[in-house]
Amino acid sequence: MGLHTVQRAVVTLLAPLWLPLAAGYLRFGARYRVADLQELRCEFDRIRSETRGPLLLCSNHLTLIDSFLILWALRSPWKLITDWDSFAWNTPERTNFAGSPLHGVLTYLAKCIPITRGGRREDTGSVLKRVAYLLSRRELALIFPEGGRSRSGRVEPENAAWGVGRIVGSVPNCRVLCIYLRGDAQETWGNFPEHGDTLRLKLACIEPKSDLRGARRSRDLARQITAQLVQMETEYFDGRQ
Amino acid sequence: MEQSEVLERVVKILTPWAKNEAALASVAMETSILDDLKVNSARLVDVVIAFEDDFDIEIADEDVDSVNTVGDAVNLIVAKL
Repeated sequence: MGLHTVQRAVVTLLAPLWLPLAAGYLRFGARYRVADLQELRCEFDRIRSETRGPLLLCSNHLTLIDSFLILWALRSPWKLITDWDSFAWNTPERTNFAGSPLHGVLTYLAKCIPITRGGRREDTGSVLKRVAYLLSRRELALIFPEGGRSRSGRVEPENAAWGVGRIVGSVPNCRVLCIYLRGDAQETWGNFPEHGDTLRLKLACIEPKSDLRGARRSRDLARQITAQLVQMETEYFDGRQ
Repeated sequence: MEQSEVLERVVKILTPWAKNEAALASVAMETSILDDLKVNSARLVDVVIAFEDDFDIEIADEDVDSVNTVGDAVNLIVAKL
């Protein structure tokens, strides 16, 4: 796993240069605000400290920068720099960031392992194995079970990829931190949250289990995760009414 | 079981998930399941489970990584029969 080792070393070295700028832009440029920020970060710290084994972060997906918003919300820039392992590896859709070499560099620095939805199975399998390997080393990884941004603006269980189930099924005692993220002004999917939006995050830690085998097991595990995200979404909208 | 019989049953299984009916009509061993037939990649798991049930075989997750075309699926199934 030389790829991971090299990328990890490079991003650790360069994080102090770009991370404060990126976090500063989100807060003061885009004027995003995270509701109940301190409580959220305390809850994340508590979950991490209580989790002895691997922890996979799974979130709904509405904008291009969801993964960075989540990591920015869960840890302060200072804590991310001093505890770079808490900045999770994430798996963005390759086509979203294939536009320029600059995008390629930025995704590399943000601990991304790009994946091509609907791409060659060998490539997809390779990414899933890499994420499973990182989790087995107790590193954090973030994945979007739906595979891409939800076109309906709601969690779409029918589009949930089974890859997340493969990962969870291949890593013993893997827990899943389900994250529901949505901006107050976010009615549907898009590239970015609206300028000045208030972001709300809800966390729920589960440990999916299945007695099934093979593909059925992976599907069962993936379904448990998306079911949790659907439940969190229901609670979110119930709370807004 | 003959390869042609397996191919016929594989195509029958793929039919409900294939969005490109034209490609389905001219399906061959080289036909890509995702790119040509336009099967939703998220539903590939259902296709694999249908293969398992129909042919009474067990397909490991890793085996699926080598399946890109209809021919790949046929060859995998034949190897497991």
